[in-house]
Parts: sequence; structure tokens; C-alpha cells
Amino acid sequence: MGTLALARPILHAIDRAASRVDLLLALSQADLRSRYGRGPWRVVKWLLDPFALVGVYLLLVTFVLHRAGAAPGLSLACAVIPFQLVMTTVTNAMSTIAYRRAIILNMSFNRTLLPVSAVLTELIAFAGSLLLFVLMMAAYGVAPSLAALWLPVVIAVSVAFSIGVAYPAALFGAWFPDLRPFAISFVRILFFVAPGLVPLAAIPGRAQDLVRLNPLTGIFEGYRDALLYGRRPAAWELVYPLAVGAVLLVSFVPVYRLEQRQFAKIVE
Amino acid sequence: MSASIRVERAGVRFVFDRQSRRVSPTMAQLRRRSLEVWGIREITCSIGPGESVALIGASGAGKTTLLRTLGGVYAPDEGMVDVRGRIGTLLSVEAGLLSPLTGRENAVLIGVLNGLSRRRARAALPEVHAGSGLGESFDRPVGSYSEGMRARLGYAVAEQAEPNVLLLDEVHEALDHEFRDTVEASARRLLAAGGIVVAAGHDHLLLERLCTRALLLQEGRLVADGEFEEIRSRYLAEEGL
Repeated sequence: MGTLALARPILHAIDRAASRVDLLLALSQADLRSRYGRGPWRVVKWLLDPFALVGVYLLLVTFVLHRAGAAPGLSLACAVIPFQLVMTTVTNAMSTIAYRRAIILNMSFNRTLLPVSAVLTELIAFAGSLLLFVLMMAAYGVAPSLAALWLPVVIAVSVAFSIGVAYPAALFGAWFPDLRPFAISFVRILFFVAPGLVPLAAIPGRAQDLVRLNPLTGIFEGYRDALLYGRRPAAWELVYPLAVGAVLLVSFVPVYRLEQRQFAKIVE
Repeated sequence: MSASIRVERAGVRFVFDRQSRRVSPTMAQLRRRSLEVWGIREITCSIGPGESVALIGASGAGKTTLLRTLGGVYAPDEGMVDVRGRIGTLLSVEAGLLSPLTGRENAVLIGVLNGLSRRRARAALPEVHAGSGLGESFDRPVGSYSEGMRARLGYAVAEQAEPNVLLLDEVHEALDHEFRDTVEASARRLLAAGGIVVAAGHDHLLLERLCTRALLLQEGRLVADGEFEEIRSRYLAEEGL
């Protein structure tokens, strides 16, 4: 009897966690179909953006800026791929409430997971775009070193940062629907005020210190360390974006939870 | 769990900015000027097991707002709303369905949002498919459905959660006669089992078939509560119809 009483809250917690996972998967699966369509062509859609961006930036740094450096395609991929995750997460999260207007107006459900489902949806495309790393490493003859084992950690940091960003993005999209394009432009600017086009080491003097304040800097450099330079990412590259993501979560999840009660009133 | 609804002095307000866009109360605090409109106010009523209640009133009287508050879609800004039982809803023209998804995909999604596991929601698909009567259209994107088809699917999906509190807005009026009979029959089963049906709309003949009691709403306030026919007559007389 005592064991049963003890087990009950644990079973209840497992049940709740399982139903949240189910909810998250159902939301993301639906989101994936809506955003990327169906059939084999959707894989092309996932890959098109990062491939095209790396191609354009490669032309820019090589022929216009003349700052190609070592394995420029791989260096760019190390910035573009994680940036695409953050960018598409912000875009998706900003419209996540408006997109689900029909459901929000028809029934009550736990809306807290909507921003996380936006990240999960974009993670599928992100996973597809990891192929670009393989291609770039092969193209530049960069053999994977032991440091590549840090890649899952670096990926985990970029996912955690994206989850942190998703909550304020969802609130911003709900509060200021007309300003969504400006928010997208702001996130794009963050790419250029980080070592996106050229690695951090190529940025001179005081500008380098300032660029480090951008949480994307640590993420981009973390990928470069693991895949291009073959060294363990520096602690700040992992801790700083993680801390920024955590601060965003701690600050905005309570606001989101409070505000979600009003979503049905503002999406109509 | 036996079904019951208790509403005490409930009010729901909407806030608009200077451009008449709806904003949340948080945003309204940040903006210099905003306009506050109460969708419903000072609503007090209770509905017991086995009762079917119609919400009657002119457009803008607060029927949809009250239904959505009962369904947990709107949180009351004042007062208290206590709904006991599993709630099934058909409250918007879109019937809670996402246009890019097929009927099948919507059924799984809404089943999970209703609290079913994904496995159970998938297992219930043949029942929802048969219940909706959509045939091959079940595997077509909902964006290609007529309003009636959406309402059929929305109702079949709502039924999947085995509700004992059923909330129907005007959308059920989009249903064809054959499916109305189906809805009526399942509503009667639900009432016989101690459930509650609350329906709003302008098709009084349809409401009369479903409901024995009615609440009359005017400008967001509850002005009368009684037998369906009595309330309907009063409404028609007051409206000069």
C-alpha cells in the first residue's frame, strides 16, 4: 500500500511528461506539413536555404571582400547552419499563435509548448542541413578530428539558445504582428555583427571584443572549433550562449504563461 | 465525473488600441490610449447534469464570448467560471481545423490537444472518419472543404474526446439536415447520460430541437433565463420580429 502511494506521484509525473511529449510531437508534425509541405521535395526546401546562403556568402567573401581565409565554405557553413536554426525558429515562433488561430479560438489546450514546437519543427530542417558540413569538409579536404566529438554539445547549445529565443519571439509576434519583418531584419543584423562571414580571429582589435557580446559568436566559433580548427570549443563559446538562452527562458516563460490566457482575444 | 457549469458574475473584456486592433491587457498598459469593451459582464448562471441550454440574442449580444469562456478559450477577467466534465467544442467557423492539413491529420492533432495520446488519437481515426461521413475527402487538405464539411469533421473530432459538456456555436448551423439529425441524436445520448449541451445560434428551430432551456443575452448581459419557448418569444417580441 505504502509503495503504491509512493509510486503514484511518480507514475503521474511520467504520464504528464508522456502527454507533453505527445503534444509536442503532434504540434511539430502538423507544423512541419504546413510549413514545408509533403513528399520528397520538402527535403529540397530544407536544404535550399543553407546551401544557397553559403554559396552567396562564399562568392562575397572570396571575390568581393577578398577575405576567403582557410576553407571559407566550411567556415561559412559553421555560421550559416546554426544561424538558420535561430532565424527560422524566430520566424516560425513569431507566427505560431496566429497560425493556430483556428484551434486557439475553438478549444482550450496547453499553449505553453507552442514555441518549443516551433524549434522542434525547424530542427528537422536543421538536421537535414548538417549534410552541408560533410560536403564542405570533403570539398576542402578537412578530416574530422577528435574535436568533432564536441559537435553534439555545440548543437545542444544552439538548440537551447533557440528555445530561449522562441518565447520572446512568440510574444513579439502576438503583441506586434505588424513589426514581424523588423524583428526578422534585427535577427539578420545579429548575423553580421557576429563572426558570420569571417571567423572571429579575422576581426581586428576592439571590434573582436564587442562581437563576443553577441551570443551567436560563441555558437559560430564552437562549430568552427569542432569541425574546422579541430580543437575543443572554449568554455565561453558554450556557456555564454547557454546563459543568454537561460536568461531569456527565465524572463519570458512566466510572461508567456500569463499572456497565453489572452491569446484567443488577440488572434481573432 | 458528472457534468456541471457554474458561472458567477463573470466578465470578459476586450481591449483595443487607437487603430481599433485587439491588444492584450499587458500591451494596453504600454500604450497611451486604449479602449475597453466588455464582451460579457456580470453573468451568473448554473447548468446541471442533463440540461440543454440555448443562448439567444442578437449579433454582438455575447453568445460566442460566453460559449468560449465556458470552453476555456477566454479566461474571465472578473468573476468565476467553473466547468466540470470533459468539454467538446465547435466554436468557430473554421471548426478548429488547420487548412493545410488533411482531415486525418487534423483529427490526430485535435485528438492529442484534447488529451488523447498520439496512439489513441490514431486508433480513433476509423471512427472519426466514419463519423464525419467525409469519405475520400478525409485525406484531402481541409482548405478544400466546404463550411459544412468542416463542421462535420469538427463535430466528429469533438465527439472523439467523448465529451460530457458539449458547446456548439453557430457553426453547427452549417451542417446539412442529415448530419444535424446525427448531432441531435448524439446530443440526446449525451444528455441522457447526465451531460450538458450549450448551443448558440440564430436558427431557433434547430435550437428548439436541442434545448429545453434558454438564456437571453443583451449587450453582454444575461437578461432572462427560463423555458426555451418563453425566452424565444420574449426575444422575438423585443426585437420586433
